[in-house]
This record gives sequence, structure tokens and C-alpha cells, in this order.
Amino acid sequence: MDNEKIIRREKIKNIIFQVAPVVGLIIMFALFMILAVIKDINIPYSMKNILNQSVIVVVVATGAIFIYTLGSFDISLGANMCVSALIGAMAYNRTNSLLAMLAFCLGTAVLISSVCSILASVFNLPVFVTTIAMLSMLNAGVLMLIGANGTGDIVQVPAAAVSAINTTWFKLLVLVAYLAISIFVFNFLKLGRQEKFVGGNPECARLTGLNNSRLAILGFIMAGIGVGLGAFLTITYAPTLSRNTASSVGMDVIISIVFGGMPVSGGSRSKIYSAVVGALSMTLLSQIMLMLNLNSGISQMVKAIIFILVVYISMSDNRKNILPR
Amino acid sequence: MKESLRIENVSKRFGSTIALDNVSIEARDGEILGLIGENGSGKSTVTSIYAGMQKADSGEMFFYGNKWNPASMNDALKQGVGMIVQENGTVPGISVAENIYLGEIGDYRRGLLVDRKSLVADAQKCLDDIGADHIRAEMICGVLDFQDRKLVEIAKVMANDPKILVVDETTTALSQKGRDIIYSIMNRMKNEGKTVIFISHDLDEIMNVCDRLTVLRDGKIIRTFEKDEFEENAIKTSMIGRELQGNYYRDDYESDVNGEVVLKAEHLCLGNQLSDFSFELHKGEILGVGGLSHCGMHTLGKVLFGALDAESGTFTVNGESVRSISDAMKKQVGYVAKDRDTESLSLDASIKDNIAIAGLDKFGVRNFLILPSRENKYVNKQVEALSIKCSGANQYVSALSGGNKQKVAFGKWLARESELLILDCPTRGVDIGVKQAMYQLMYEMRQAGKSIVLISEEMAELIGMSDRLLVMKDGRLAKELKRSRELSEADVIQYMI
Repeated sequence: MDNEKIIRREKIKNIIFQVAPVVGLIIMFALFMILAVIKDINIPYSMKNILNQSVIVVVVATGAIFIYTLGSFDISLGANMCVSALIGAMAYNRTNSLLAMLAFCLGTAVLISSVCSILASVFNLPVFVTTIAMLSMLNAGVLMLIGANGTGDIVQVPAAAVSAINTTWFKLLVLVAYLAISIFVFNFLKLGRQEKFVGGNPECARLTGLNNSRLAILGFIMAGIGVGLGAFLTITYAPTLSRNTASSVGMDVIISIVFGGMPVSGGSRSKIYSAVVGALSMTLLSQIMLMLNLNSGISQMVKAIIFILVVYISMSDNRKNILPR
Repeated sequence: MKESLRIENVSKRFGSTIALDNVSIEARDGEILGLIGENGSGKSTVTSIYAGMQKADSGEMFFYGNKWNPASMNDALKQGVGMIVQENGTVPGISVAENIYLGEIGDYRRGLLVDRKSLVADAQKCLDDIGADHIRAEMICGVLDFQDRKLVEIAKVMANDPKILVVDETTTALSQKGRDIIYSIMNRMKNEGKTVIFISHDLDEIMNVCDRLTVLRDGKIIRTFEKDEFEENAIKTSMIGRELQGNYYRDDYESDVNGEVVLKAEHLCLGNQLSDFSFELHKGEILGVGGLSHCGMHTLGKVLFGALDAESGTFTVNGESVRSISDAMKKQVGYVAKDRDTESLSLDASIKDNIAIAGLDKFGVRNFLILPSRENKYVNKQVEALSIKCSGANQYVSALSGGNKQKVAFGKWLARESELLILDCPTRGVDIGVKQAMYQLMYEMRQAGKSIVLISEEMAELIGMSDRLLVMKDGRLAKELKRSRELSEADVIQYMI
């Protein structure tokens, strides 16, 4: 085989690796449509449902990309979102202002995220260690907040208060605005480029004048904004908050990001669109399994198997690249 | 002499790159066979295939006449073929003894427990046997420096008493003491009738050590030289496929350095690495810094770049003190680290990412907005100027050869138009073609009025390129030598040891 053919084949292979998550999403969508037609399901209603389910995960996962790009990890995202939503709801109940609710959701989430990264910086610890400690503290905080401000089990915002913004268009608007800002920061600002480089090789980044701790704090602030928006959207979608609110978000975000083709080690191959593609694929997959009448246990197992397969394939490609020449 | 190793028509591709093209090699009992060639010529690939690290696409291999197809490096080692690789292969968080017997800890199991006493004793014996008795087997590997970790790897391989030993560019990372240990092992194996395959870029070294020499270029065998055919220029020409034009090192001996001081260090102290160290660097000067591996010269490089804080003493760049790495960069200082793959480059990033990251403040709009057109222009200029062999600036650095990786590390600082460069072992692990290009580049930079601190373990390089040479010993300045036609390696060594 001549060299040109081989180069062309390599290029095609690289493109395949890059577009595979998108192709996966298209296949999921096609499968969903086929099943919907066969089973005579109301497609617009189902689509709206899928959007409602996925939009919160997409927003939080988009912010989380800034953490995962650094090669770091935050296990407390779901708990952060729950606390932020509770404080946002309490702020609304005191002020009757949706703006105040948004501000408190955002402020709390950013504050919690920042504290994780600042503590890690002060004590010179890996950030994921402080997020583990934060998870325990936040879980305790959730119980205290619900106990002190709700009925004992829940904190509620009147459904009528949020009904005006509980629309598909509003959620899409929030999502698109945050995505656009994130893509801009990630690809066209110094911050995004430096974050990717730190994720690739922190020591080399330090020896190139990058302040890794400062970048980690900024990355966590960006993630905090996503969590805050997620908390706000959670209240609008389900205004009754309990200790279980957002309990699965942390895991959903990790799986979505990997589904979307984000390398588990972060670095320069990180992409914002991984969050969108991954979260939509995951929600569609759940919906398809529901349509096939598979129970949630099997659904979780299928997700776990796909998760491992995706990580294995992405890492085997990486292994090949670093073979000695 | 009996044939020990035979490789027949082995081919290997990595994607679009032909790493080996019908390569055939044979080696005999009681000989040291050298493999030499430019970066990417296929030396490491062919030996790593023989040592079980990876599989060939086609071809056959033999070990003492029997077909040879090891399942892994460990399998090859158990059957008698050991390989010491160029880069670090130890696990930092466990003891030296556990590293040496990694995968064999089960042999030391006594019931539910591991007999650590025997494990440590056996490991210490391996270290003592190779002449590395200064390393204690019970130490945690991570606290050792690069050279000692490399010696641990050597002990690990030698513990299995291989019949064929592959030494892949290991000596480039070692000081003279480390090199002496390897030479002694190689000679011992030769005298015991075993085989050594020795890969090095150091032509003098390989000509001294080897009995035969096989040259590879672009994945093909070019020629095998018998000992009586060794001739430097002929070997170089075989390696690069053309005669080297111009001089290897600079050939001027008149000092035309002006008096303007760009860097001034006074009484720098840091642990046992720097002790009351003072010097000045002038505009348009190449200042060599040499010594034994532990003399403190690598630490000095990091201190001058603001990557390590001195405990006492001061240093200034153009009269202003340097407080941090970013401060040094603002003062147009650049630093190429000795450990290229972990400190100078992000391997899993593209050439573009690696070069651009140091210059975001240079081409970014208002120091924050990155426009692709500006970035591409900034990076492509270096790719072209340094003739980096790549399919494009988006190619990942991990897929480049050693010499081209080093060019990227240089390009990162050249693109910033650094006025003062601290180069720590800049030609480590690069072939003579790239080496010559690097020396030429350094000389051109000097002529353009830029200043260079050249830290090196290669004496010939220091003597050949420096305007002045500072010899370090135990963190102190042992001697300052001026550039001279008469300056020899013996003149320098006497102050190093």
C-alpha cells in the first residue's frame, strides 16, 4: 500500500474517532424515532421530556468540563447543586424574586466550588480530595437546611411562581447562552487554553509560567456557574426540593462526559461538545431502554458496560500513539 | 563466535510511518553490537520488538537458533533477553527492592506475609553486584534522582542474568559514574560470552565500546561496520545519508563578548546543591556550566528561571530581581529542562499547543483573546524555521522523534523571542544531524546578541560551544575557564572530581 493511501487511512481513522460520539448520538436518535413510530408514542411530548431530562445534565456537565480538563475530578457536584437549589428556593420564599433565586443559586454554587479549589491550593492537596470532604459537609448541610426551613422533608417554591419560566424555550435559552460562553472561554480565551495545557502536563505547565492553583480555582468557578444554573433550572422544573434532589447528577455528569468522547485524563483533547453529545446520548439511551420495557437495573448495567467500552477504546487509541518509534 | 540473536526481514508501521522496513540484524556471543542512527531511524523499535515490548508486522526472530516470539518484556527477560530503556521505568511510590523484584514478590511470600528481609537483602546484592552500592534497597524509589532510578532499572534487569542485554540510549541520562557502571556490566557480559546490543547517539562512546556497528536510517539497515572499519566521518555519512556540512561546534576562538551584564547571581545557596555560587552572564555570551551529575548545575538552571527558590543570595536579570517563573518570562528568559518529556513538553498535546502556550501574551489580543490566524502564524513560523518534521502543527508531540520533540521545546522559547535562554542538556538524546542544527542555532542566537546558559554533562559540547565555562563541584564554583583552542576535556575534568 502506498504512503498516500496510508496517510489518508490514518486521517479517516482520526476523523472517525472524533465524530464517533456524534455518530453514536445520531444512531440513538434514529433508534428512538424508529421505536417511537413502532410503538406509536407521542414524539413531540417524548422529545420535550428528553430535553427536560437532559438540559440540566448538559449545563452542569458543560461546567464540569473545566474541571475534568485539568485532569481533576469533583464528586460533590450533585450535593453542591442540591444545596444551591435549597438556598435559591429559600431566597425566593423570603423575597418572591426570581432574580434573587438565580443570584443565590449561582452565588452558593460558585462559593462552594471555589472553597474546594482554594482549600486544595492552601493545603496543597489534589482537588478531588477536598471535594470528597465537601461532599460529606454538603450532605449534612442539606439535612440542616431542609430541617430548618422546610416541612422537615422538603423545601418548596410555589409552582405558580416558576411556571412562567418552566418552558422548553427558556431552558434552551439558558443552555445555549451558557454553552456559547463556555465554548468561547474554552477555545478563544487564554484561560481555556491554559486549562487544557495544565491537564496535559501540570509540571510542564508550571515550568511555562502557568499558575496551576489559580487556574484550578478559575476552572472550579466556571463549573460552579454551571452547577448554579443547573440548580436554578432544577427548581423551575421540580419546585419541590428534598434530600434526593440532584442525587444522581454527579454520576450522570461523569458518564455523559465520557459518552461524549472526553478523555478521562483531561488535557488538550478535551472538548465542550462532549458534554452536550454525551448527555443527550445518555438520556436517549435511557429512553430507548424504557421503550423496550427494560427495567432500570438492566438500564444501569448497559450504561456501565458502554462506559467501560468507551474508556477502553479511547485509551487504547492513546496507548498506540505513545509507542516508541 | 556463535550466533545469539537473529532478526530477519522484520517490518513495522506506526500508522503512516514506516518504522522498520525489512530489517535484518544478527549478533554473536561475546560481542557488543552497536546500533546507531538518527532519531526515528528504527533502532529502538527493532530492539523493543526483540525484547517483547511490541510485535512486528512481519518477519522472523531467533534466539540461539530457536524461533523467538516473546509475549511481553517480562517473558523475554525470563527467557534471557533484558532491555534497559531510555526513559524512566521505575514505580516511584514503592521501595527499590520492590521495584527490582516487581512481579516476583510472590517468590518471597511466606504464608500470608512477604519476607521483606530476604527481599531487601537480595535486592541489595543486585545493586552491589552492578556497583550501585550507594543505593539502599529499602529506600522509596521516588526519592532517588533520575540516574539512581536508572541504576535500579539496570539492577532489575541484571537480577535475571540475561544472555542478551539491550541498552537503549541509557547512557545519555547518566553521569560519568553511571556510564562507568554500564560499561563495566557490558564488558563483564562480553567476557562471559554473552551479547550486548548498545544504542547511543554518542559516536565517540559507541566507537569506543562496540565491536561492530550497524547503522539504520529511515527504518532500513544501511551498513554494518567491523571494528577495523570504524571511521567517524564514514559512520556519520551513513547515518544521515549525506556529508555533514560546516563545523559541528563553532570554530571561532576570539572572545568578542561585550561587557553588558544581563544576568548577575550573587552568593546563591540552596541545600547541598548550591553553595555561595556567584557569576555574571554577558550579552551575546554562551556560558557553559558543567560538572558531575550531582554537582548542582541542574538545580542552578531551575533557580535562575525562578522555578526553585534559593535559600539565600540574589540574582538579577538586567538589574531586576526575578521572583517567579512568570516574572522570568516577562524579562524574556526561557528555560529548556533536562527532562524533556516530563518538564519541557506536554506529549499528549499538539505541536501548536506546546509552542503557543508560552506565547499567549505575545500573540493574544489584549493578552486574553486567542485568534486562530495569529496563533497559526506564530506557531508555523517556528515549525518552518526549525524544520520540525511533522505532518502539520496539529500533530501530537508524542508521535515525534526525540530530535523533533527537542525542536518543539526550543521553539516554545524562540517564538517568544527570549533574550536569555537557560538550556539544560539541550542535545540529550538527539542525533548528530539535529545536534549540529542545535549548535548552529545557539551560535546564531549568540551572534544576534542573545545570551545562553548552557548546562551540560557532555564535556565536548561545553568546550566546543562556550565562551566561558563554569565548572561546578558540590554546589560550588570549582573553576572558571575561558574559551581556548587548547582547552581539553582533561583540563575540565580535574576540577570536576
